[in-house]
Amino acid sequence: MLKILASDLIKMKRKIIWLLIFLGPFGVAALEAVNFGLRYEYLTKEYEKDLWGGLINEAGFLATPALMLGLTLIASMIASIEHQTNAWKQLLALPVSKLRIFTGKMLLASLLLLISSTLLLIFVLILGLVLKFGSDFPLLGLAKMAYYPYLASMTFIAVQIWLSISMKNQAIPLTVGILGTILSLISFRFPDWLPWKWPLLENSWGDPAYSALAGLAFGIVIYFLGAVDFTRKDVN
Amino acid sequence: MKETIIKTSGLSKKFGTRYAVANVDLHIPRGEIYGFLGPNGAGKTTTIRMLLGLAKPTNGTIQIFGKDLKKEKLEVLKRVGSLVEYPSYYGHLTARENLEAIRILLDAPKTRIDEVLSIVRLTREAKRPVKGFSLGMKQRLGIAAALLGNPELLILDEPTNGLDPSGILEIRELIKSMPKEHGITILVSSHLLSEIDLMATQVGIISKGRMIFQDSIETLRRRSSSNIVIKTDEAEEAWKLLLSKGHNAELEQGRLQLSNISDHEISKVIAELVESRFPVYRVQEEKKSLEDIFLELTGGEGGL
Ligand SMILES: Nc1ncnc2c1ncn2[C@@H]1O[C@H](COP(=O)(O)OP(=O)(O)O)[C@@H](O)[C@H]1O
Ligand SMILES: [Mg+2]
Repeated sequence: MLKILASDLIKMKRKIIWLLIFLGPFGVAALEAVNFGLRYEYLTKEYEKDLWGGLINEAGFLATPALMLGLTLIASMIASIEHQTNAWKQLLALPVSKLRIFTGKMLLASLLLLISSTLLLIFVLILGLVLKFGSDFPLLGLAKMAYYPYLASMTFIAVQIWLSISMKNQAIPLTVGILGTILSLISFRFPDWLPWKWPLLENSWGDPAYSALAGLAFGIVIYFLGAVDFTRKDVN
Repeated sequence: MKETIIKTSGLSKKFGTRYAVANVDLHIPRGEIYGFLGPNGAGKTTTIRMLLGLAKPTNGTIQIFGKDLKKEKLEVLKRVGSLVEYPSYYGHLTARENLEAIRILLDAPKTRIDEVLSIVRLTREAKRPVKGFSLGMKQRLGIAAALLGNPELLILDEPTNGLDPSGILEIRELIKSMPKEHGITILVSSHLLSEIDLMATQVGIISKGRMIFQDSIETLRRRSSSNIVIKTDEAEEAWKLLLSKGHNAELEQGRLQLSNISDHEISKVIAELVESRFPVYRVQEEKKSLEDIFLELTGGEGGL
């Protein structure tokens, strides 16, 4: 499996995907910097009791659509590398199982988004320190802000990887991903079982961990279905 | 007898209701260059994709190195190198990086990259992004990638398609040198008879999904040279006489035709005609070119 990941990483060399991975979390932190810069008085009053909590709250709000959009683009870029010159036929004629190839793509997308989420944590932490919210920052809260939506969106990582790999024309997976991003933005009042609601971490139990868990569990199921579908289909 | 490297029986592939490949029995002995010949759309690529496990056969079995491909696919693929249709590459990577991405998966030694680059003579271009390569260079890179794992069997699908004459010559020489220098068995497909004629030792001809000829290139050539035509009066009577004497004659456009006939038999035929007082005006050998044979076999479809 490590061989496959190493091979996939070589293919990512000099790709703008790396810029995207950096730019996503950077953009979120930058927008929050502007947000707090412009409305410093108002926001520090609003979150007077818990400044760090306020920042985490605001940043988490922006991070969700950024993540949904980012995972859509990343999945599509990963698949496009193979689609472009129809490299699938070369790749899958190698002595490597199709299951492993598919798993490699899923792992790569998960890994890249994990890096993004970690960068988000770091950038928001730096922003909070710059805003002088105190050095007693809540690391757990920051980690939850960064990693819960990541886990909750695992379902969509699996869906987008499956879609992007299954079809050469990326218009469909991109449309699905973008519509999903919009849907997740307005899914507050949707029922809890709707996957698009999970990345918002809103649920009737009031514990975001449930949303994260649901997204992760369902993501594994979808990954599995995608892998079975991929191994069964002929290579074009 | 030589060991069989590829053996398929009843290999078929259906798309919708149409069979793109129907009941193909390939037989490829070790060390041969097997030319897989057929007009465009005959089913060459589809057959090759099944041999590489990229497409599942609708029917039939595939044995490579004596192993069932379905059961031991990865074991088989370890010993096979392939290039299917147009070359695949990662355009933003250099030639070396392209090979490295594949080498890792094959567990081949790093030094192998330099070896294959020099075999296809791309050593000096190794550090350039592949998207700037000519088609011929991309094709050579594809062959280099196919050679990375030190394969015993090389499967090349129309490797000279779209190349200029010098590119074609280069690839052909490369292919011809392989069995000699490296003991590799090669399956190479083409829609050009002239191509196959110049490099193959064995030939399989496929048309509309069916194998219509499979034997050595010499047998195919022999078929093209031994057609004796006899011109006489009352050809139909003469023809009946020859048939009654047990000769395998054909009547075509008022002339008698005997194919694959020995010198001894032809002298007997002439003697018999003369004895029965048929005037023999001409006895001539008609050489059919390989092209004629190919056209005849494929029913006139798709020549050069
Ligand atoms: N994926 C596919 N779906 C439907 N038809 C196909 C597919 N692949 C090939 N065919 C058809 O099968 C036939 C054989 O094609 P192919 O094997 O590519 O021929 P060749 O390589 O000899 O030119 C053609 O008629 C082609 O249109
Ligand atoms: Mg073809």
